[in-house]
Amino acid sequence: MADDESLASDYQVLEELGRGSFGVVYKGIDKITGETVAIKHIDLESSDDDIQDIQAEIAVLSTCASPYVTQYKGSFLRGHKLWIIMEYLGGGSCLDLLKPGNFTEAHIAIICRELLYGIQYLHSEGKIHRDIKAANVLLSDNGKVKLADFGVAAQLTNIKSQRNTFVGTPFWMAPEVIQQDGYSFKADIWSLGITAMEMANGEPPLCHIHPMKVLFQIPKNPPPRLENRFSKEFRDFVAQCLTKECGRRPSAKELLRHRFIRSAGKIEALQELIMQRQMWDANQNRQKHPIYYQETLQTISTKSSNDEAWVFDTVKSVVPPKRPTVKHHRKSSSVLSAAEEGFRKMDINEGPLGSSSPSSPAVSTIRKSTVRRAPSIMQVPASYANGSPRGSIIAPKRPLQPDMSFGNSGSTMRLFQRVPSDEPAGALVVRSTTPDDDVFVDENVPPPAATPVEPNSKEALLGRRLYSKAVEPTLAELHAQTSTMAKREALAKLSEAFAALDAVDPEGSYHLMNNLITAMSQDNKLNASVLRQSVQKFPDDGTPQGTVVVKSSTPSPSPAKLALSSSTNPNFRSHRRRQLESPVSKESLRDQEKQAIEDKYPGRETQSGMEHCKQLSDVLYNRWADGLRIRWPAI
Amino acid sequence: MSFLFGRGRSRAAADLPRQARDHIMKLESPNGVSKAEELARVLNQMKVVLQGTQETESSPEQIYQLVTALIDEDLLHLLATNLYRLPFESRKDTQVIFSYVFRFRPAAAAPKSDPIALSYVVCNRPQVLVELCRAYDHKESATPAGSVLRELLKNEAAAAIILYDDGDEPGSSCKGLNAIDRNRPQSGRGVFWKFFDWINKSSFEVAADAFTTFRELLTRHKDLIPKYLSTNFELFFDKYNNTLVQSNSYVTKRQSIKLLGELLLDRSNYSVMTAYVDSGEHLKICMNLLRDDRKMVQYEGFHVFKVFVANPHKSIAVQKILLMNREKLLVFLAHFLEDRTDDEQFIDEREFLIKQIRNMPSTPVVSQRSVSAS
Repeated sequence: MADDESLASDYQVLEELGRGSFGVVYKGIDKITGETVAIKHIDLESSDDDIQDIQAEIAVLSTCASPYVTQYKGSFLRGHKLWIIMEYLGGGSCLDLLKPGNFTEAHIAIICRELLYGIQYLHSEGKIHRDIKAANVLLSDNGKVKLADFGVAAQLTNIKSQRNTFVGTPFWMAPEVIQQDGYSFKADIWSLGITAMEMANGEPPLCHIHPMKVLFQIPKNPPPRLENRFSKEFRDFVAQCLTKECGRRPSAKELLRHRFIRSAGKIEALQELIMQRQMWDANQNRQKHPIYYQETLQTISTKSSNDEAWVFDTVKSVVPPKRPTVKHHRKSSSVLSAAEEGFRKMDINEGPLGSSSPSSPAVSTIRKSTVRRAPSIMQVPASYANGSPRGSIIAPKRPLQPDMSFGNSGSTMRLFQRVPSDEPAGALVVRSTTPDDDVFVDENVPPPAATPVEPNSKEALLGRRLYSKAVEPTLAELHAQTSTMAKREALAKLSEAFAALDAVDPEGSYHLMNNLITAMSQDNKLNASVLRQSVQKFPDDGTPQGTVVVKSSTPSPSPAKLALSSSTNPNFRSHRRRQLESPVSKESLRDQEKQAIEDKYPGRETQSGMEHCKQLSDVLYNRWADGLRIRWPAI
Repeated sequence: MSFLFGRGRSRAAADLPRQARDHIMKLESPNGVSKAEELARVLNQMKVVLQGTQETESSPEQIYQLVTALIDEDLLHLLATNLYRLPFESRKDTQVIFSYVFRFRPAAAAPKSDPIALSYVVCNRPQVLVELCRAYDHKESATPAGSVLRELLKNEAAAAIILYDDGDEPGSSCKGLNAIDRNRPQSGRGVFWKFFDWINKSSFEVAADAFTTFRELLTRHKDLIPKYLSTNFELFFDKYNNTLVQSNSYVTKRQSIKLLGELLLDRSNYSVMTAYVDSGEHLKICMNLLRDDRKMVQYEGFHVFKVFVANPHKSIAVQKILLMNREKLLVFLAHFLEDRTDDEQFIDEREFLIKQIRNMPSTPVVSQRSVSAS
């Protein structure tokens, strides 16, 4: 895939258009044709699952050629990021356009007709969209309606299944999809009906109910209906789409003959919606500050230090040579060395020589070591009890970046000009110590709000950890799931505020959270509804562990294994707690996942072309079990 | 389209391949554009004959006529060779045509027998399969040909044709299935070996599709592959390790390490696995993967590394390397990918490996198996 690198340089990447669990979408320009495009960046490294799923979806995308479907233009790899180039649609999504107000029936009829054409095309090509909703319906500047993210959304959210597959999408799911009675084309028709209701009411039915509960209500409840204030034709159209029995649900072709659709007007009328949105934006009286794409000039450097590598030379003695102490400390998790490592990093970055370009070997090496070897915070609780600062949490994590101003840089030009090479050293510290940093850092990083305070009390450390482990990831997650612009901005402000608090007063954030939890636990209702779901993930000592996001694919091991592991490794305790407390309502889903995970256990039949069981993993498993038996003879 | 009705109908269907052939031959001529349009029309008609429409069922008799005509005109080969030159919709139509034709069995044939076009190609015209692989040379034809190929590869004979294609060498599949000599090592010039380049050098879409086909080829047929890998052990793993595992492409690297692990842990490949894990060179490659910059590469590398360590009969070379690095490995593994706290299988296996390495005797011992082998 050698020519992929040069393909990336064919595109000028501009501001961010949005982000979701699948990655970030940017506006861009094809330098050869001058055409505006949308560029989706997917970080493959952040996903365990098979890249094949993404490939399969791209194969589907690339075989679509319809004016009612967003046009796929190509895809290529850049490091471990996959770039997908798509047609750019300047009108925005229907969800965005709903912001100024709900659509009129006339507008909805046009959109539904165009969507039906798109759905008809897909179905005739043997494809199912699986994720039709206002957010996935895009409008061009002149009012053309196109289905977007089809398949990709389904698949790409799928590869992040442990994050948020179900949050935000269940409202549009057809009953048969939830019950997993086998998908058919008709599932898209149901979702279209829900989308029509969404456009009429501004939100899908049941949207005030927790998405997990919705999964049970949709199959159980009678199908939702529009209120009487809407016209008879519209209500009938929605009712037809929302036929629970999918065999009786009409096809796209049949629905195109429906009165509501036949009387629909021209697509040009939809430009009114785009205008409304522009007016609305103008009235918001707030300047927009687009986030520009920025790529740090970083290359993956090859291993430079020799003594880090394995010894393969047979001439040398069998005993491995003693490694320098620094290196040794680097890998050890002892409290002292972790602290030392932290200081060492700070030194290099803050020294006058260290603030050279980010591609300098010193910086990239540190980043590498941080990314790879910084011991996970969850695994070394001892270092906190002793009150030692750690490098990876000294710097504030960057807050979310919506299109709002930060710092004092009002003009977009200035933002754009801030290229990596003349960034202040402080910003470098932020980046190089962010554990989840990638090779290509593609966000603007705001200057740190204040000089970070070094935590020196237990509360401060816990507070810092609370921020980096719970608050920040939760906010990021929530931000990624939220599509409403106003909500996103509010979230981002909150996130930024928290970042500031964390930088200045981590102790304060600890107390804030602590008091919050206490207050919540004193209120019966809150205690039952909030704490039952999230706080129990906190261990007894009140130390926050992990993110608060409900992971939908928590592996469920067999009981015997569970008991064993919880006695071996403290991490399993929290792990187990999570499993035990995941909502019972997810049972059917979890059973499936459980099955999938158990299939992977050693000693079991494996799937996917490897049905003839794997003897080596059998050996592995037996040895492991033997070892356990020796340690715990009772078992 | 009155010609599509009545008795003339099947004759019309049988005539389509000849028309298509004429059009393809003239694609390069000055009026190639109009020929391409006519060709697109003919291909679409073929698709309709095979697939039927929502209103009309396809007739088996017509399909039979069409399939035999396709064979007579040698159109399958011609379409495969020219796939990349066809217009977008025609490429999709061609894909549909291929999949229907290769699935078609006349009503009279035994239900388990090979479809007629497939057995014809496998025995008499293996070049069709080779040409379908060569469609990976062009990004236009990669996806449609790839999906046809993966369907064909479910058939063991078709897989054998691709694996044993070796030009004019004796025992090559170019003279049909029965000419294959499975004991002769491959020269490395056959079409199978081109997959390494397609996967490593093509653009993302082509490479990804080629890899999916490659994977299918190597994992589906448990009678074919172990023999093939044993006979061509050096050539295969040399190419595999140097081209795919060391690829500059993140996706190729990660996927090929994963596939390597799957191949080694497949019971049918037992002897291939034991030979693989005896090699110190292979262990070195694998240990370096554990130190890759990218976590998922480390993770996939781990699943190959564990095979070396879990092997109860480690070769002297492997023992030496592990012992030389014992202390490093123990420290390294203790903190290896430790943010994978949810992955219980991984944590268990990592613990197991640490224990294995710690408990190794301090000097290499000649294992039972190596004794009995020598």
